[in-house]
Amino acid sequence: MYDKDSNLFDRFLSMFQTVQDEGHGSVIVVFIIGILFGSIIQYAKVHKFEKIAGFAMLKDTVVPKMLFLAIGVASIGLFFMIQLGWASYHIKPIMLGGLILGGIIFGVSMAIFGKCPGTGPVSVAEGRIDIMVGAIGGILGGLVFTLFYDKFQVLMGTSLGKISLTGYFEDTNGIVALIFGLVLVAISFAIPLLEEIDEDDVGYQKMKL
Amino acid sequence: MIKKIPWWVGGLLMALLLLFSFSVLGADRPIGASTYVPYFAGMLFNLDPEKYTYLTKINNSGSWEGVMLLGVLFGAFINAIFITKTFRLTIVPAAWKKYKNNSITSRLVWSFVSGFFLIIGARLAGGCTSGHFLSGMTQTAVSSLIFGVVVMISLVVTGKLFYKDKADV
Repeated sequence: MYDKDSNLFDRFLSMFQTVQDEGHGSVIVVFIIGILFGSIIQYAKVHKFEKIAGFAMLKDTVVPKMLFLAIGVASIGLFFMIQLGWASYHIKPIMLGGLILGGIIFGVSMAIFGKCPGTGPVSVAEGRIDIMVGAIGGILGGLVFTLFYDKFQVLMGTSLGKISLTGYFEDTNGIVALIFGLVLVAISFAIPLLEEIDEDDVGYQKMKL
Repeated sequence: MIKKIPWWVGGLLMALLLLFSFSVLGADRPIGASTYVPYFAGMLFNLDPEKYTYLTKINNSGSWEGVMLLGVLFGAFINAIFITKTFRLTIVPAAWKKYKNNSITSRLVWSFVSGFFLIIGARLAGGCTSGHFLSGMTQTAVSSLIFGVVVMISLVVTGKLFYKDKADV
């Protein structure tokens, strides 16, 4: 994986090798997941500053509507897929310090940046220079986190376990999954549709005609 | 050619993509989009994973997300050029001009700083909008629900305090 003579190019190639060896989809499948993920975001326009900062200002609700609908539908589907043995749980641990402190920092940054780590790359690919500058900041953030990981670990705290609602209510988990999903779907439709539009957006203007 | 999809089509397609990624036919793992950042930082600065244990910890998921990110960049660039025609070099977003200011310096400095802290926050919490919100809540994970509530509150409070309420005309 690493030796002191390895250069950027070697490490870049080893990324593909790791994915190929890991068995979580071939390089092609993972690359296509990326294309689809980026395209859905791009066509729904939820990567736009107007949508994300607009949500923070409560002037645009496309992001929460789409997010809650996706989670609601997927949570019901995933529950049945896991029952059938077609998928498995990958729950993240409850580390209260990290979740609360990280969540606050993430929310503040997302409101100001108007992007998150999944939507930022779409804007970079569309030529948004401010987001390219933010990406450089992000890489440095990743560097600082890596260099001082032991210090950050203290802030994150210890894991209180990998708990899920469907795991906690084991006997009635089918009903829990169904209610959880349906409530989120209902919320997504109940949120009134507000839109903050970027008038320079060529694609949007053509749509309006 | 379709240039925009409504929120509910986007939500349904995203649900299908999440399920494909979770399924054994797809990748048998959730979609995540913030581990690739420290992974690329380690790559660019050629850090030794044996010295920096975080890099060893994230080697597999960072590689996976790294390849996915290349797909995102490739797909979005092709779309932007040929289909949505949304490629253009810009610095200050329209809504920033409306609700904040017209200054290029202001936008770039805030972008850099918020980009930096966005990743610190995501890595502290162990996930972002993709890993916690989308993939985590889909599994009804308690950690992701906590993250979701904290982020929503912090996002809306910042939106209220940081931006002007009325647009500059």
